[in-house]
Amino acid sequence: MGVISKVHPVRSHSNAAAGGINAALNPEDSWESHAFDTVKGSDYLGDQDAIEIMCREAPNEVLHLEHLGVTFHRDEEGKLGTRAFGGASAARTYYVADITGQALLHVLYEQLMKFDTIDRYEEWFTTALVRDDSGRIAGAVTRNMRDGTFELFTAKSVILATGGNGQLFIPTTNALICTGDGIAMAYRAGAPLMDMEMVQYHPTTLAGLGLLITEGARGEGAHLYNAQGERFMESYAPNTMELAGRDVVSRAEQTEIDQGRGFPDGTVALDITVVGRKRIHEALREIVNVGRDFAGTDITREPIHIKPGNHYAMGGIKTDINGQTDVPGLYAAGECACVSVHGGNRLGANSLLDTLIFGRRAGQHAAEQGRGVSMPTPAGSELARERDTISEIVSRDRSGRRVSEIRAELGTTMDGKVAVFRDEERLREALETVKRLQEEVKTVAVDDKGSVFNQDVLGVLELQFMLDNAECIAMGAIERKESRGAQYRTDYPERNDADWLKHITLTANGDVPEVGFSEVTMTQWEPEERTY
Amino acid sequence: MKLAYWPGCVSRGFTPELHGSMELVAPKLDLELVELDRANCCGAGVIAEHNQELVDTLNARTFAMAQAVDGAAGMMNICSTCQGAQSECQERLDADGDYRKHVNSHLRDESLSYERDPDWWNKNFLWLLVEEIGLETLAEKVVRPLEGLRIAPFYGCYIVRPTSRLGYHRHPERDRYLEQVIDVLGAEPVEYAGSHKCCGFPLITMNRVTSLRQAGRHLADAIDAGADCLVTPCPLCHLNLDMQQPAAVQYVERDLDVPVLHLPQMVGLALGLEPKELGMDKHVVKTREVQRKVASLAAA
Amino acid sequence: MAENYTLKIRRYNPESGNPAYWSEYAVQLDPERSVLDGILQAKDREDASIGIRCSCRAAICGSCAVRINGKTALACNTSISDAAARAGADEPIVVEPMNNMPVIKDLIVDMDAVHWKKVRRVVPWLLPDGPPPEREYIVPAEAMIDVTQSMACIQCGACVGACLSLEVDPEFIGPAALAKAYRFVGDPRDGQHEERLRDLAEDPHGMYDCTHCFACIEVCPKDVAPMSQIMRLRRRATGDFDIKDGNNGYGHEKAFVDLVERYGTLHEAQLLPRSFGDGSLVKGQTEPGAVKQLVESLPTAIRGLKSGKVTPRKVLLHPKLPDQDQVRRIYKEIHSKDERLELNMYIVGENADEEEPAMAEGSQES
Repeated sequence: MGVISKVHPVRSHSNAAAGGINAALNPEDSWESHAFDTVKGSDYLGDQDAIEIMCREAPNEVLHLEHLGVTFHRDEEGKLGTRAFGGASAARTYYVADITGQALLHVLYEQLMKFDTIDRYEEWFTTALVRDDSGRIAGAVTRNMRDGTFELFTAKSVILATGGNGQLFIPTTNALICTGDGIAMAYRAGAPLMDMEMVQYHPTTLAGLGLLITEGARGEGAHLYNAQGERFMESYAPNTMELAGRDVVSRAEQTEIDQGRGFPDGTVALDITVVGRKRIHEALREIVNVGRDFAGTDITREPIHIKPGNHYAMGGIKTDINGQTDVPGLYAAGECACVSVHGGNRLGANSLLDTLIFGRRAGQHAAEQGRGVSMPTPAGSELARERDTISEIVSRDRSGRRVSEIRAELGTTMDGKVAVFRDEERLREALETVKRLQEEVKTVAVDDKGSVFNQDVLGVLELQFMLDNAECIAMGAIERKESRGAQYRTDYPERNDADWLKHITLTANGDVPEVGFSEVTMTQWEPEERTY
Repeated sequence: MKLAYWPGCVSRGFTPELHGSMELVAPKLDLELVELDRANCCGAGVIAEHNQELVDTLNARTFAMAQAVDGAAGMMNICSTCQGAQSECQERLDADGDYRKHVNSHLRDESLSYERDPDWWNKNFLWLLVEEIGLETLAEKVVRPLEGLRIAPFYGCYIVRPTSRLGYHRHPERDRYLEQVIDVLGAEPVEYAGSHKCCGFPLITMNRVTSLRQAGRHLADAIDAGADCLVTPCPLCHLNLDMQQPAAVQYVERDLDVPVLHLPQMVGLALGLEPKELGMDKHVVKTREVQRKVASLAAA
Repeated sequence: MAENYTLKIRRYNPESGNPAYWSEYAVQLDPERSVLDGILQAKDREDASIGIRCSCRAAICGSCAVRINGKTALACNTSISDAAARAGADEPIVVEPMNNMPVIKDLIVDMDAVHWKKVRRVVPWLLPDGPPPEREYIVPAEAMIDVTQSMACIQCGACVGACLSLEVDPEFIGPAALAKAYRFVGDPRDGQHEERLRDLAEDPHGMYDCTHCFACIEVCPKDVAPMSQIMRLRRRATGDFDIKDGNNGYGHEKAFVDLVERYGTLHEAQLLPRSFGDGSLVKGQTEPGAVKQLVESLPTAIRGLKSGKVTPRKVLLHPKLPDQDQVRRIYKEIHSKDERLELNMYIVGENADEEEPAMAEGSQES
């Protein structure tokens, strides 16, 4: 078994999942309550069988992590303590200050170091998946970034845990590595993508850089104000106020800003001072640093200006409850996957949970499956093809645009036209732009002609992955002619359960993705009007 | 200027020339030093390593004695290590009222109490020279500019790091003061890699190799940069750079023979004091060459 | 409003056969943007072959530690205008790879060869006693917050690059790995505290090879304060487990602390001999390593005598403070407590009461 990662594993973007992980672990809480909150949060697009599994298994998962050494916050009795989070009917978010994802990631890496029979390929960039003659997965082609050599890893199963695609948008809370590589590779290998139009805009991100201010701040009691000093959530979610679903809060903020009640820099204010200095230091230390270093704001003394910003891909590679995609032997888990537990809108502190639960299930399933099959034989000559692709890019003379120019145009297009409020006309414009950029990327040249850490040439591959993701997002958003969760169509402002209570799937088919549909699995919760 | 004066332990122990030279320099700078002769060791980082409450209490005791000196502008020390160790305690004492009260409860028997006061300060002689006396005033008092002398500054870790604890937000130039003082005294500051690094003293009894490699490397760098001597505001650095210098030779495998002055000695020379009265004959590495240059200045 | 800045980056291409060289890049950025933004702009507009690891842009992934104007820092949370101001008027912002690790290309260093190797050295995973409980381990809330300070480490290696002990002793376990060790030694769930401490105390390049220079504290972007964690390792090794080490750290601490208790000020002449004798001048078994160090230091002592700075009188007689009984009383009061009291600045923050005058319970502070 090997773990391949284009960055050292502890650099991964799970670090940014600051606020916590949900689990109905308190005796007074129940997994059903957690599941219902998740279903409602998803605007009923989440698959309820998968949500039930996730919420049932959550308590044991959190305990398992605790036993491995995660330094979860404790209450006065020394037991696991919780904080409140958006869209949740109980305080069920377990946390490590505001570095929960970081703590989890680093503790899991500790375990990886402990079990050194697992081979680690750190800073190896995967360029393509490989199948055998029968269409079953057979491995992956990777480039060792350290020296530029290529390797074909033959495998009975491949689990993609490659994260999201936030870099399609500028600005975004996502790290520079979040370029949708795995989503695009699975798509190219024939696996359908699902719910791609569901892109979460987080309510509290910094203007400009787009960095995240954790929802934990509102969980701890922080308030939102417009420029007129009004706590505007009163008119959008009178019961839960700042802790409504993220889509609801982001739309409320964008409405305030669009209607002229925001600040001149296109923001509203988040007032964390009400939380109290000691508690801020203990529980929200990271955003003290973010405020100081990236906004010049001391959040313990003054409100900080924030706006909705690109944050999370609810959609991704379509999988079943064991992480299996439609390509035999290929699995996906975490943000790159779509089980779907998040549907139209993910609840805060459900992403780490999704990753852990379905990551474990995928691993277990793949291990069991692997016992029964022999090592496959890759069909074609992917290794040579991928090597040639790189050589061809490196050998191009400078003529077309720079990678950075295309990336920038993609980012501003997506953030301008495929964001909180959408309509047919601008979505089509965005799709046209993406298609043009897909042509332009074919002629980009690179500055770096070397083999050692040639980040430049890998940037071209990432850009191509990103453009595949962008095309599918725009296609999905055009297709869904209703407003649900994160998809708000100003030309179709209502939710339409009769026609659209279904997933949209996109499958590679020549030049254009083929649109399909998939039923939403319902177990015990019928769609209701969604208010907070 | 009247000052509560904490000379530290080493300046009265292994480097008596430091305490002695400070006493001679003070009146030349119009400083009235009220020595805290009942105060205790700052802990030098070692008592902090052993027990934080103990070291905080010991230094709160010193601060309280200094605060009780009538008419004193503040407290002065002549040791980087004292400065750093005491600033660390002061940071904790100032951070939390309950903790301060608790620490002060150990001092009740002596009717002492350390009070947080934003206007009260504890400054190393170097900081005091620049911030309280001022470089211009200092320049006016120079009677023997140290022209032609190339002097390599050596700060000592405890007054350069961590900047957040040592008032660098208010005085961002504190890591350039030695160069500024050298310059004002008419000498030439030498730039070299080691000026803000560690002399290795804290490791001298624990890991001699690591300790003396550090001392030796910085001395070698200073020599290669053309220094006639080094100057340091820290007597512990002086122990490793001067007293241990002959021993450091084997760890850097080259000759070292560069004298190391204490800050008050260097200031004293420029203010007209003689090398002998400043205790410059008491160094392990002979200061003859520096003395000869100074003598030629006087003659000229 | 965008302003002009110049970056001077140390480039190195291992495939060229040429040594490292400097290249300057002009960038235009808003003053609040970061040095990383500047480097990325230079890559985007001028030369995409500049090598630097980076990802999150928010000081959480730990990829982009470099040296900026000689000081190790994350490029992403160093403001470009601050860096320009520190560089000085008309001087470029100098960006170099970190020290103490081999350079692979440009600003990319071999973290695995140094940093991660050292992290692996400290057995960096939890080793509980026996099987886990049915539910969570019950542990004090403060203990979890306390180890969260070292958990906050993002493994960026800035402290490793800045470490002054590592600079002369590449075998030193180093600040990041030792802070990681405290993350387990301070964790009540771990069952191997004594074994871990003994291991790190007895390694000649372990906790007693730290030169106490504060460089790691200064450069850490996450307030982990690695040196403070190393001091806590020492405090626990000596105070809780009486671990005697080959480096003589135990003897040194004990001798120092005891001498101040006895005399009020430090009696250096006795520090050395006492350090090597288990803290006592008269009795006690002396560690073999200690004998070697003591013998090696004899010539220095003799030189001290010859120069006149150390007198036989000084060696034998050290004056006690006038109120030495008060110092002893303080020692006694504090040593008689069951637990050591520590005020963790990581938790209370700087000048906590200034902000919350009314919040401090029972406090009469204004």
